[in-house]
Amino acid sequence: MALTDQGLVDAAKAIALGLGTGFGAIGPGVGVGYLIGKTIEGVSRQPEMRSDLQGMMFLGLALTEAITFYALLMSFVAFFIA
Amino acid sequence: MTRRLGFLFAALIGILALPTSALAAAETNFQPVQEFINDYWTSVTLGPLEMGISKLVVYLWLGMLVSVVLTLWIVRGGLRTQPGRTQTVVELLYTFSETNIGQSTLPKAAFARWFPYVASLFVFIWTLNMISFIPLPLDTHNPLWGPIPGLTIYAATSNLSVTLTLTVLTIGISHIEGIRANGVVPYFRSWVPPCPPALKPVLIILEVLSQLLRVISLSVRLFANMLAGHLLIIMCIGFVILLGKLFVAPIAIPIAVVFYIFEWGLVASLQAYIFAMLSGIYIGSAIEPHH
Repeated sequence: MALTDQGLVDAAKAIALGLGTGFGAIGPGVGVGYLIGKTIEGVSRQPEMRSDLQGMMFLGLALTEAITFYALLMSFVAFFIA
Repeated sequence: MTRRLGFLFAALIGILALPTSALAAAETNFQPVQEFINDYWTSVTLGPLEMGISKLVVYLWLGMLVSVVLTLWIVRGGLRTQPGRTQTVVELLYTFSETNIGQSTLPKAAFARWFPYVASLFVFIWTLNMISFIPLPLDTHNPLWGPIPGLTIYAATSNLSVTLTLTVLTIGISHIEGIRANGVVPYFRSWVPPCPPALKPVLIILEVLSQLLRVISLSVRLFANMLAGHLLIIMCIGFVILLGKLFVAPIAIPIAVVFYIFEWGLVASLQAYIFAMLSGIYIGSAIEPHH
């Protein structure tokens, strides 16, 4: 099977989707883990702060997690639109 | 209890399988992105602007109806000292937006003026996000059968135009209010924190850049979250069609249901909360720069 130009473009798009999503998930993954770990640490030190810390944790979680979606979005743009 | 949960789970699977049945009609070329295509049903042009009605516009109307008309109707219908269930929900929503969004971000002087804006932002986006997970028969791009439109889960907030409009409104208000409260020169001077004079040019560039990036980050956060969430759900179900093998279904569809519950239960509310809260923070920090 000969590799056509269109085939090459499709393959490159698929690679872009995979790499973009994967690499984009590394940083936020570390961030989310750190965030939740630190919250658990804080709660175990001061259990009475639990509800306050949880609220802040969810806020930080959403802000951190959004970064994954930026990468995912750009990968989708590369895959479906470009 | 577990029996009820199991029933709920099965019902969700059934609901989620419905939009796919419409997509299955076009099984030769399944594209999850088709869910986000806006077909104009009527064409109303105003110069270069296309003002026709599409799926997106109907969703925005629905959001407006639910958030404005329903709330007005409940409040005007007579409030009771012993609140019923609907009144409790509305009161909870109000208390939440007052304490968690309004009072924690806006300065006292600007509270009365800008709390209504921030709260309605929260309620509107929350409503849009919540109704986006209910399959509605509005998908004319993939008709279910004949003229009957297919079921779709589509969020108005998964369209960049909607989130960008709300963001430009917020950022515009924050600058105007900042200038009004502080005067032109003090406001723009307040962007740059006190620092040694050698660092000043670098900091000015950085601060101006961060002000501009706010527009992108605020709009794209909500947009990308909703788009990616919906795409994930549709794709998980779509795997069955994409691969054309039925044995994938027992794995793919429960994953889709888990994502569905996660998105509906957590992400939809959280993103509305964050959008409203960041709007409050931007407006508040523009009015009182040295917090």
